[in-house]
Amino acid sequence: MSEIIMPKMGDAMTEGKVIRWYKKPGDAVKKGEPVLEIETDKVNLDLEAEADGTLGQLSVNEGEMAPVGGVLALLLGAGETEKPKEKPAADENSRRATDKKDSIKHSTGEYGEAIEMKGPRIDRASAATSAGTPTAAAPGGDGGRRRSSPLARKMARDLGVSLDQVQGSGPSGRIVASDIKGAQGRPAAPSAQTAKPAAQKQLEAKKIRHSAMRRTIAKRLAESTGPIPHFYLTVDYDVTNLLIIRQQLIDISGTKVSVNDFIVRATALALLQHPNINASWGDDAISQHGEVHIGIAVATPEGLITPVVRNADGKSVVDIAAEVRLLADKAKNRKLMPNEYQDSTFTISNLGAWGVEEFTAIINPPNAAILAIGAATRQPVVIDGQIVIRDRMKVTMSCDHRVIDGATGAEFLKSLRQYVEQPLRLMI
Amino acid sequence: MAEKSYRDAIRDAMMEEMDRDPNVLIMGEDIGVYEGTFRITAGMLKKYGPKRVIDTPIAEAGMVGTAVGMAMLGLRPIVEMMTVNFAIVAADQILNHAAKVRYFSGGQVDVPMVIRGPHGAGVQLSAQHSQSFESFYAHFPGLKVVAPGTPADAKGLLKTAIRGRDPVMFLESAALYGMKGEVPDDTNFTVPFGQSRVAREGRDVTIVSYSRMMQMSLLVADKLSKEEGIECEVIDLRTLRPLDMDPVYASVSKTHRAVVVQEQWKPFGAAAEIAASITENVFDELDAPVVRVTGEDVPMPYARNLELLATPHEEHVAAAVKKVMYR
Repeated sequence: MSEIIMPKMGDAMTEGKVIRWYKKPGDAVKKGEPVLEIETDKVNLDLEAEADGTLGQLSVNEGEMAPVGGVLALLLGAGETEKPKEKPAADENSRRATDKKDSIKHSTGEYGEAIEMKGPRIDRASAATSAGTPTAAAPGGDGGRRRSSPLARKMARDLGVSLDQVQGSGPSGRIVASDIKGAQGRPAAPSAQTAKPAAQKQLEAKKIRHSAMRRTIAKRLAESTGPIPHFYLTVDYDVTNLLIIRQQLIDISGTKVSVNDFIVRATALALLQHPNINASWGDDAISQHGEVHIGIAVATPEGLITPVVRNADGKSVVDIAAEVRLLADKAKNRKLMPNEYQDSTFTISNLGAWGVEEFTAIINPPNAAILAIGAATRQPVVIDGQIVIRDRMKVTMSCDHRVIDGATGAEFLKSLRQYVEQPLRLMI
Repeated sequence: MAEKSYRDAIRDAMMEEMDRDPNVLIMGEDIGVYEGTFRITAGMLKKYGPKRVIDTPIAEAGMVGTAVGMAMLGLRPIVEMMTVNFAIVAADQILNHAAKVRYFSGGQVDVPMVIRGPHGAGVQLSAQHSQSFESFYAHFPGLKVVAPGTPADAKGLLKTAIRGRDPVMFLESAALYGMKGEVPDDTNFTVPFGQSRVAREGRDVTIVSYSRMMQMSLLVADKLSKEEGIECEVIDLRTLRPLDMDPVYASVSKTHRAVVVQEQWKPFGAAAEIAASITENVFDELDAPVVRVTGEDVPMPYARNLELLATPHEEHVAAAVKKVMYR
């Protein structure tokens, strides 16, 4: 009996991830045959059997991490059986005395697995994967990494293409650069489909477990620039239409509505389409939030606080305006309750009222991003070859690079532009 | 510029350096009266006399040991091996003395010497005389290893070797001696060590090679360009120690595919070092595993037809190029 352990693939490696088991418990394996694929922070590689034998129970399931030196599975020699864990001899005897019905009754859980090990190996192979590895990832899920060339993986990262959506054309289905190029041309990416205005994408709360690479990126970036590695994206939106609509809304509703109230709703709607922005970095996973709660930075004599407009995507501009007014008053009087300033998923800071045209804001943890809204100013711009005067507003998003990559952030700002520049969308 | 053979370019380099520096001399078996088995040293005894063109006994360890001593005391000996295979008789002198004297002397004593001679397969010299040693010698710090693939490089690199401070293994391709090419006439023309060159530009696949296999790779590249529209970039390493990989990395970053061609056997060869370096340095650029084209894993046969089968051929390189292109 020998152990298959997580190898140390580099000085810095402390743990590795099991990507995929090629063999199931009970399968015969030959020396030199790949048994599983692991992922380190740099490479994916196959671990080969060091001797002929039969694969025993798996200690680490697909998608799970294991420390360097940690046992991944046992490799049983001819005639060897796996010792059931912590199983007194009496149990062994009584189990043998049970009839078939009893053993079916116990066919799940650790006890059941021990019985399974006694059965004929051929039949058990398929059963073992369903019963024995309950947390095994479904194909295409977290553990469903596919064979791919390094260049293809790099291109997929850069272009935001998921390898799961790509059919590999290389040997053994290896995804190569040309496959990524092909996939990029296809309009099949789900995020692109939902880019239609006001498409009500169903959000769901979920965790995307850190891959080894995401971990490394996070660690490196954080080491270089502090706890949150910031980067900044600045865009210039045309708010001429928004200002017109705002005036009309004030005239009709009699409510004081600020530009920022429009921005809050526009941001909330854009976030619906970009769950990867409405997210937080955690030790083990990036959490995408199931709801959109917009924090509004409010200056008070004591300092900054960010009251939260909960579920802002479900509220009208007028509703938001009223709520923000109330929250801001409470903030200034230090009357905010914890539930009124906690749990934001995204934050907006607006210094336009102070005449600041452009600035960068510091991310409000655990948010992954913050918008810094500048003042709308009248600018000469060229439209259809004519110089015309338009109202322009600079918006800078600070992003947590552990969660958001440049292109991801830019996509969000593109979606936001539709709402800001075509504000009727906010009224739908 | 004049058209010269690889053989004449080597002789020119030695004679120009002997004219330039009275400390340069050459010694070896049958190089004087007989004018060399491959006629590299033709006319040299007559011109420079027996003090500077020394016929030696058949005693490679003695020749190299003598040369190490000469070099330590300020001469610049060139030792011609009848074939580089014979240098393994002198391996202790080369690896344990020539390569280490500067280190052991705390940098006080240099060993400026060149060991040169015909190397590799292709001229029906059978198993003991057709071997390739570049990875063997390039393994050792303290040595330089040169493998020129053109007459101009043969001349320019040999002059650099003779003028330098280090012991140099100068590996001449026996099968290229008759090859002609343009060679600069300038007696100060040299080619520095550690500067790989792009022998042919291309966008699709990088072929990394040196010496005769580089010439063969160029033929394959032209053929693939004409017949298949595949454009190979061919990198000529020129020297294996120092090894200049930067042009290789730049090329692979462009083509995303690499084939390494060597005449020597596959296990632990130069191609393994090159392929590993590519993977270590530009892993993310690769769209296919680096493929090695090498000699067959057998002692070199004497029979011509079998020798041809045992050495890498154009079809092997073409097949490897298509493999990394998934074609």
